[in-house]
Amino acid sequence: MSNPLEDMSKPDVIFCIGTNMTECHPVAATGLKKAVARGAKLIVADPRHIALAEMADVVLPLRVGTDVALLLGMAHVIDREGLVDEAFVSERTEGIEAFREHLARFTPEWAEGLTGVPAADIVQAAVWYGEAERGAIYYTLGITEHICGVDNVQSLSNLALMTGNIGREGTGINPMRGQNNIQGAGDAGALPNNYPGFQAVTDPAHQAKFAELYGHEIDLEKGMTKVTALELCGDKIRAMLIDGENTVVTDPDRSHCEHALKSLDHLVVIDLFLTETAALADVALPATAWGETDGVCTNTERRVQRLRAAVEPAGDARPDWWIVSQIAKRCGFPGFDFESAEDVFNELCSLSPIYAGLDWDVIDKGEFHWPVPERGHPGTPILHQGVFENGRGLFRSLEYRDPAETIDDEFPVWLTTGRRLASYHTRTQTGRSHGIDYLLPEETLEIHPDDVADWGLQDGGLCRMTSARGSVEIKVAATNRSPRGTVFTSFSFNDTPVNYLTGSGYDPVTQTAELKVCPVRLEALPESL
Amino acid sequence: MSDPSSETTVGSIEVDGKNLNFTAGETILEVTRRHGAVSGEPCKIPTLCYDERLDPFGGCRMCVVELEGSHNPVASCARAAEDGMVIRSSTEAVEKHRKTLLEMVCSENRQVDVDPLSGYASQELKELADRYDARSGRFAGKKSGKSREDDPNPFILRDYDQCISCYRCVRVCAEQEGDYAISVKGRGFDTQITVEFDGHLKDSACTFCGQCVQTCPTGALADRKALRHTEVPGEIEKTRTICTYCGVGCSVDILTKGDSMVGVQPAMDGPANHGALCVKGQFAYDFVQHDERLKTPMIRGEDGELHPTSWDVALDKAAQGFLDARDKHGRHSVYAVASGRAPHEAGYTTQKFIRSGFWSNHIDNCSRA
Amino acid sequence: MPLPTDQDLVTDWKSRPAPLLPLLHAFNDRDGYLSDEALRAVSQGLRIPLADLFGTVTFYHHFSRFPPGTNAPRVCTGQVCRFAGGLELLETMRKDGATPMPCAGRCDEPVPVLTGRSVQVGVTVGEFESRPSPLPVANPGGLEECVFAAIRNPGNDTLEGYRRAGGYSGYEGALGSDPENLLTVITDSGLAGRGGAGFPTGVKWRAVREALNPRPGDDTRAGPKSVVCNADEGEPGCFKDRVLMDHDPHAVLEGMALAGYAAGAEIGFIYLRYEYPETADILDRAITEAENAGLLGENILGSGFSFRIHVRRGAGAYICGEEGSLLNSLEGKHPFPRERPPFPVTHGFENRPTVVNNVETLASAAAIARRGAEWYRGLGAGDLAGTKIISLSGDIMRPGNYEVPFGFPLQTLLNDWAGGPRPGRHIQAVTMAGISGGFLAKEDLDVTLDEPSVRSKGSMLGAGGIMVFDDSRDMLEVAHSCMEFFAHESCGKCFPCRIGTQRLTERLAGAAGPGVLAGWSDEVEDIGSVMKATSACGLGMAAPLITESLMRYFPEQVAAHVEATNS
Ligand SMILES: Cc1cc2nc3c(=O)[nH]c(=O)nc-3n(C[C@H](O)[C@H](O)[C@H](O)COP(=O)(O)O)c2cc1C
Ligand code: SF4
Ligand code: SF4
Ligand code: SF4
Ligand code: FES
Repeated sequence: MSNPLEDMSKPDVIFCIGTNMTECHPVAATGLKKAVARGAKLIVADPRHIALAEMADVVLPLRVGTDVALLLGMAHVIDREGLVDEAFVSERTEGIEAFREHLARFTPEWAEGLTGVPAADIVQAAVWYGEAERGAIYYTLGITEHICGVDNVQSLSNLALMTGNIGREGTGINPMRGQNNIQGAGDAGALPNNYPGFQAVTDPAHQAKFAELYGHEIDLEKGMTKVTALELCGDKIRAMLIDGENTVVTDPDRSHCEHALKSLDHLVVIDLFLTETAALADVALPATAWGETDGVCTNTERRVQRLRAAVEPAGDARPDWWIVSQIAKRCGFPGFDFESAEDVFNELCSLSPIYAGLDWDVIDKGEFHWPVPERGHPGTPILHQGVFENGRGLFRSLEYRDPAETIDDEFPVWLTTGRRLASYHTRTQTGRSHGIDYLLPEETLEIHPDDVADWGLQDGGLCRMTSARGSVEIKVAATNRSPRGTVFTSFSFNDTPVNYLTGSGYDPVTQTAELKVCPVRLEALPESL
Repeated sequence: MSDPSSETTVGSIEVDGKNLNFTAGETILEVTRRHGAVSGEPCKIPTLCYDERLDPFGGCRMCVVELEGSHNPVASCARAAEDGMVIRSSTEAVEKHRKTLLEMVCSENRQVDVDPLSGYASQELKELADRYDARSGRFAGKKSGKSREDDPNPFILRDYDQCISCYRCVRVCAEQEGDYAISVKGRGFDTQITVEFDGHLKDSACTFCGQCVQTCPTGALADRKALRHTEVPGEIEKTRTICTYCGVGCSVDILTKGDSMVGVQPAMDGPANHGALCVKGQFAYDFVQHDERLKTPMIRGEDGELHPTSWDVALDKAAQGFLDARDKHGRHSVYAVASGRAPHEAGYTTQKFIRSGFWSNHIDNCSRA
Repeated sequence: MPLPTDQDLVTDWKSRPAPLLPLLHAFNDRDGYLSDEALRAVSQGLRIPLADLFGTVTFYHHFSRFPPGTNAPRVCTGQVCRFAGGLELLETMRKDGATPMPCAGRCDEPVPVLTGRSVQVGVTVGEFESRPSPLPVANPGGLEECVFAAIRNPGNDTLEGYRRAGGYSGYEGALGSDPENLLTVITDSGLAGRGGAGFPTGVKWRAVREALNPRPGDDTRAGPKSVVCNADEGEPGCFKDRVLMDHDPHAVLEGMALAGYAAGAEIGFIYLRYEYPETADILDRAITEAENAGLLGENILGSGFSFRIHVRRGAGAYICGEEGSLLNSLEGKHPFPRERPPFPVTHGFENRPTVVNNVETLASAAAIARRGAEWYRGLGAGDLAGTKIISLSGDIMRPGNYEVPFGFPLQTLLNDWAGGPRPGRHIQAVTMAGISGGFLAKEDLDVTLDEPSVRSKGSMLGAGGIMVFDDSRDMLEVAHSCMEFFAHESCGKCFPCRIGTQRLTERLAGAAGPGVLAGWSDEVEDIGSVMKATSACGLGMAAPLITESLMRYFPEQVAAHVEATNS
């Protein structure tokens, strides 16, 4: 996030796109609800009529996968209505002329054709956001889990740059992170393109720095992404270490994924439970859980905070860092003589410029947002204040692209997936917590009531849902939350493994899977089943 | 705590003979508490309907103080400080009113003592009743509130026999949580906390965030999960950590008795959440001590099944597999996926394992799914 | 005509000011009660969370969630009506689904029975009558009146009739000159609030005029200032506002418009108690007349001043007469009183500067604008300015409304003007300020009718309701019914009142509490003192005046009561 969570109650116009925040980030959503209660305008763009839409001043129910078209339409209006923040644009950005020219074609009427959102609503949303003193954008996986995920994010950035809604309190482009330390995994260098602290591996200076520390030179090329690695399992990739991820259930195209892991020579999985993924391992190692582990995590606003152990580990479970270090030592690799989480974290701080001002003790109270470039620095709650990291903000002229697969006669229905409030990811944790079943006993497929009728389905009955990759059986739930022609479910329940269906494509840049769009076909199953 | 001498100060009030400066919009209570925290002589004005995160309400009247020039004492939680106010916070008259109020409140409840596992603020009434010696049994009469034993939800006990109608629950649900799931039904002595049409929480807008439980000063709303551990021996201890679920990073306190995890409470001073939590952070913690935890290392045997083994054996086998792959298929045949759920130290050691051990960048995390 | 659908009703009200109560009434009028579906439709239409709406609806006595709801009769069992046959009437009508209601403001003509949108009066089934509010009798002392001066003129309730007596001339004059002049006149007249608190009206209007009016963009409070006419008249024994509105509605409208002009407000509401359904029609008709005559609306009489008035009916909650609670109610919120400060003059309707005035205050202002400050001051006795309507009821020969000069002796009113007690009886006690001033009895009946005199006896004049109880009445029963009223009407916001009114009621009923006089008195006094000192609004502060004055004047009856409880 470019801005801190605290800022969520400060904007006067909030644009939420592709984020079911009240379910996925309920506590963050409380800030937003406060802003709305204070009188802020709320614009919600989502294919489904999510809870946020109930609060919204304008709802943009776009067809799945058409975000770029919607955002181009909005940019067109902002330009046409003279709402471009000329001072900001000339001081801090680059490429506005070309972008303006590019925009001319993308009228809101054109966008309506693709998105299905009435042009008048697109205009209203654009005008509100354009006129806002403090306009803020919030998004999550609804934006990124597309083949055009990067384009989507770029389109949002275009809007923020045009209107100067960035680098100030109550503004910004704010992705909400889904997992408690997904930001931290990146910070720590668990990325194929970056060393710890987002130092590009392709930069020879970085290579030299780490060569000195790690004892020899590391490739100057980026590594493979996980998606590619899974493609190449049994071929180029022969041995894999997976820490705390139920890859089989969370990743798209489950059959493919299971097959990939099975074709490895060697699979080591570190986890809390014998998950579907751990069950495929050659070696499954018990990690200490949250509440048993000391450590550090970074939240979605780049706040670096301490985790503390409250109870003894279950059985023989050990901290992940200890397990990995032990494997490394037994491989004969030097540099793994850590005695505590503190040692590990302090080493990370010594290598990461954005953590240079931090160490284990400094973050005791969790006051710091990185970057913290030196000791005594107050941290950086708001990014891009005054200058962008890379100089000027760049406008990018983008075109709309269809999703990897589009509906046709064989697969006439859009399936989109997401999360639910009471369950988390693959339910390895929530599913084992007393009472959660009371709230969410089973998975359902949410279908508009008229579609339920038209397609000969039964509310509460079973149906078979099939995509080009696979098929699952799932219970039908008729609800107005789903628009006509689009159905929704979550990937949390193993007995309805929807990720057997997904996986039509990946963003070419980030290789993020298109989990949000998948054409499917539905058939009623007889009651007896 | 902001520095009382900062430039936002707009005036000063005199409380019990001391001059205290205040900032715009601060109430008498806030000023007194802030200075109390700094001076180390904590403010002693009692409160029951007050939660510092909520708008002033002024229901319990426990916080009344004498204000020079005002005929009646004023509710310090709701009255904004004005320059030159002269306040006496605990005169005999005011203390007597407080005691009477407490005796009245105690008279409407079944009991004053509740298990501290009930919730964060659950001891507030009990502590004040002790402090004011208010268990006199005076003012006997009808009890107020009706418990909802019929609500089967596993998280929130709705024991309204214990309710004192402070409405902190309703206000926290609306103001802090934005869910507006509960409200006040009826009026006067018959007020009752309820959801629409007197239903169960599950059928309402309730998200089971537990905020109402944590702000309830009497245990009328209580943490049903935690209360299962009432019988576990030992004192309750709290450990500050960060919630394990989403990226918001809410601060929580894990409650333990001995080595048992018995509950979670939000950290009111958590920098990212200021006391807020959602159902997962609040209630989905007991996977940690679940029977199905993987408790020993396992390796795949000749029979194709996983078998428990020692760390030594498992780690050796894990290491050997990576070395074998490297030796047979080259260093680029080894890959690692780090977790978005584990702490930094996991991600850091994992990437170091790949980079320092195999000189490659074949490391990723699960953010792409 | 087909009945309107849920959606019709919602669409009709959605974008009008203060829509919640009228929308709920629209459903209520259609169905007789508020069904789950109705609440869901309202919740969606007005974007009020369903739980909140449910809670708020259950706050109001007269909203029913189930049939027959509004169509079942409600019988007044107020302090006067219960002695006039109300309790017996209720029992005989139980079979028709009748339920009791607290004082419905018809104490001069007991017993009112409210069914749907109509009030009938009578004590015998089959002999009920719909009657206009009784007019005040001609001033028995021949003293000059202010608000009642023209009220007995035939046709005074029409625009034409009102104008014949000079109506709206003060308003027309004011519109032609600076609002400052009007403010000066009202301030100089010494007019003070007639709703109970007695705050100087000119000062209030000026405060609203001078309050910063938030502008769009400034903050969420942006929008016009308003004037609210408090016509909730829920105080038992008060029925003066009713007679003013029924027979002199234009005086109220003129007063509001004057307040609007003086304070710089553009929108007016009349918050009318539910129990006066006919009055709503009278007011609506008068508003239409005034609008048609260009006296209300846009750019009135070319002055550039715009002002509109909306009638909003309450739904049965005494506390909604308290101004903070009233404003919350208008806004569709839960009608708890608001913490003060801030006061409505800066944070009123929708948090914007607002004049809240009683009906009588506004009607007086209309007369003052016409006849001047000096004239009005001269109406009071001695140094006291102006007049006050007293609603007199109970055990007295000629109950009704009397306009008296401030400083007028109570005994003269009771015995000379109103004919004294029933033959063979003597006056045991009177209530003051409706019941909010507790009782006066014995030598304290020698007060004069003005705040300084009445307050010196530990009571208050307030809105001017006086109920008379002769020596045939059991004062504990009277006190109990008063306290029961307060307990029934306590909003439940603050502890001292919510619990205190309940505990005092139980003690007056002999249902709980110590059986020894000393212990009983200790408890009752402690509760009373904490209520008076710490309650969040006037209801809780006033309620213990009942027990306090009961113990002061009737210690033997109290002792006997405790004794009886004990055995
Ligand atoms: C419990 C309670 C009930 C009240 N009821 C009324 C009422 O019915 N009508 C009224 O005019 N004022 C009522 N008031 C007084 C109002 O709060 C307010 O002071 C008044 O409307 C101001 O108008 P005025 O200045 O013209 O008197 C009530 C006050 C309290 C505490
Ligand atoms: S648990 Fe949360 S959402 Fe439910 S009633 Fe309590 S505060 Fe409201
Ligand atoms: S349930 Fe608890 S928090 Fe809610 S009103 Fe009752 S005592 Fe207060
Ligand atoms: S005094 Fe009574 S009516 Fe007034 S706020 Fe308190 S509870 Fe409500
Ligand atoms: S704390 Fe001030 S009234 Fe309750």
